[in-house]
Amino acid sequence: MKNLAVGILIIVVIVVLGFSFTFFQVRETEIALRVRLGKADENSEIKEPGIYSRWPAPIDRIYKYDSRMRVFEADLGETTTKGAVPIIVNTYVVWNISEPLAFFNAVGSVKEAESKLLSQISNTQNKIIGQHNFSEFVNSDPAQLKFDEIQQEMLADLRAAVKDQFGINIKTLGIKQLKVNKDVTENVFERMKAERQQRTQNTLSEGQAEKTKIVSDADAKKKVLLAATEARAKQIRGQGDAEAAKYYKMLDADPELAMFLRDIDALKTILASKSTIVLSADSQPFELLKRMPEIKEEAVK
Amino acid sequence: MSENNMENKKDLQNRPVKDRFSGELDSASESLSEALRISFLILKIIMVVLVILFFVSGMRTVAPDEQAIVLKFGKIRGIGESRILGPGLHWILPYPIHEMIIVPVKKKIDFSVNSLWYYQSKSELLQTDKNRINVPKSLDPEVDGYCLCRSESRVGAAASETDYNIVHSKWKVTYQIDDPERFFKNVTVTDDLMPGQTYADVIEGSFSVLLQSLIENSAVTAMVNYTIDQAIKSQATITDHVQRLLQQKLDDIDSGVRVVFMKLVTIKWPRQVDDAFLESFNASQTKPKMITEAETYATNTLNETAGTVAEDLLSVIEGRKQVTDEELEYLWSQVVGQCRERLGQARAYRTRIVESAKADAIYLNNILPEYKKRPKLFMQKVYLDAIEEVFANVDEKIIIQPASNAKSKEVRVLLNRDPNIKKTKSKSEETK
Repeated sequence: MKNLAVGILIIVVIVVLGFSFTFFQVRETEIALRVRLGKADENSEIKEPGIYSRWPAPIDRIYKYDSRMRVFEADLGETTTKGAVPIIVNTYVVWNISEPLAFFNAVGSVKEAESKLLSQISNTQNKIIGQHNFSEFVNSDPAQLKFDEIQQEMLADLRAAVKDQFGINIKTLGIKQLKVNKDVTENVFERMKAERQQRTQNTLSEGQAEKTKIVSDADAKKKVLLAATEARAKQIRGQGDAEAAKYYKMLDADPELAMFLRDIDALKTILASKSTIVLSADSQPFELLKRMPEIKEEAVK
Repeated sequence: MSENNMENKKDLQNRPVKDRFSGELDSASESLSEALRISFLILKIIMVVLVILFFVSGMRTVAPDEQAIVLKFGKIRGIGESRILGPGLHWILPYPIHEMIIVPVKKKIDFSVNSLWYYQSKSELLQTDKNRINVPKSLDPEVDGYCLCRSESRVGAAASETDYNIVHSKWKVTYQIDDPERFFKNVTVTDDLMPGQTYADVIEGSFSVLLQSLIENSAVTAMVNYTIDQAIKSQATITDHVQRLLQQKLDDIDSGVRVVFMKLVTIKWPRQVDDAFLESFNASQTKPKMITEAETYATNTLNETAGTVAEDLLSVIEGRKQVTDEELEYLWSQVVGQCRERLGQARAYRTRIVESAKADAIYLNNILPEYKKRPKLFMQKVYLDAIEEVFANVDEKIIIQPASNAKSKEVRVLLNRDPNIKKTKSKSEETK
């Protein structure tokens, strides 16, 4: 009874130990390399997850690598475009270990891989950016922009450079910062200010012009309206004159008297008020001030 | 317990032979079998407990906002849809045979990117008075973040090397894990778990470096397509553009992550050009104001001139519109303001002139018979009546007796200005 329990326990321990020495797991996130007696070839690569058998060490040595994506960022680097314009870019690379054998042989560790990547990235940066004009990075005409294409070219170039060499796969690449150096920013600010001021002026003068146009339009309309009104008023006055003329005909009965009456009216109107008259005592009826009128005999009779 | 049993056995062996087959033997074997029975029972209970413990230890609950994948010897278990386990209770074998990875798929995770903004020191962030902040003349590429924007396209203008704009922005993105399998396989999540931490707890921190790079890249790539004015005014377009680029990049690397929401938190021109931009902004506000003022003036002018029919009347006058005479007369009758005033004056003139002519004619007609009888006397009477009336109204009358030899005499009359006239004149000048 007792011996049986102890026996089972010993068997279990041996089995577990045996499994752990002769089997190993590769997770979904890993790839592995089985090095047998210090030798490895394509058949030693394990790219599929699962459980695999092995000889215990030191016959088999198992190297597992995390095959998930890693981000690597190159330092901020100044480089020059085709037209020798300095430009500062910060490139990041998303990569993963894809070929365990090549990685084991050429690189060995992630740190080493990153240092290799760093020099490759700066090569790629200098090469590809040097092939493009600054105007292809940023341009007032969007049709001439090639920023996306430049990044694609860099990706292709970097892929070609690391291909079959380091056992790594470049998943993507991008420029995460596109900058210019300090002195250039000052120039840019100056130009931005100048452009803004120009814009301000334009806006204000456009507003002024529009205002003037509206105002003068309105004034012109007013003039037209008043002129038309004046014409109509003249017509009305003309009607009045014409109508009055009919009555003037009636004065033809005695033009002399009519003129006399008209003069009298005029005199009354002109001297209606606030006037000073200086006249000789010879005029009628002031002759009376000088002397009595002579009474003619005929009249007495 | 077993020691007791042993002792019992020893006792049995040591006893004298004659006793061995006595009645006590039965009782001894009875107690032995009893003891064995109890120990078996206890063993059974222990085994059952162990089995229960084994089953319980394999239980895993997946919360409603989570999904799980099970690794069997490191490989994802199942085929097709069964690879992903939904919420509920699941049972797995212990490690290393099975391993469960729980991924929070419905959890919306916020992530902010401030690296495209200029550098602000702590004291600067605390300083509320903007005027006291010392703004550097230039941007340091090491610490200040920004995007480049294109300039307004100008036809025929030579492209200058500095023909672009700089803009600062802050972004916020909300994402969720759409495909737990792809996410688990491709996205690096740290394996250095603190005690008590699970895979789900470290996702956010592990993913952030990659995400930040992708967002910055998307923003920088998108922004060069826009002018600074577009960037500041049409934020929705730009956010869409950046979100599209970001999603594409996330898909390109098989991350299994979906961008739920993207927000452009702030976007601003550099502090160094603040004044010029504000002026320009103010000018853009002033312009419509000027136009509105002018339009108000125009409306008022037309209203004062002719009223609401002004435009209709104008289009007829200028021949842009054909109307019948009645319609035209109607339009004229609706005229108000200065036009109406002038027409009114003309009508008054017409009435006055006609009436006065008529009155004159009638008067002449009436007096003509009388005049015909004694023309001279009648005329004199009319004349003197008129003189009398005139002189009655005249303020000052000066009558001079002419001398017999008029040559030697001179008369000087000092005319005093009528103070009333003076007063009214100066008044009217003031009012002008």
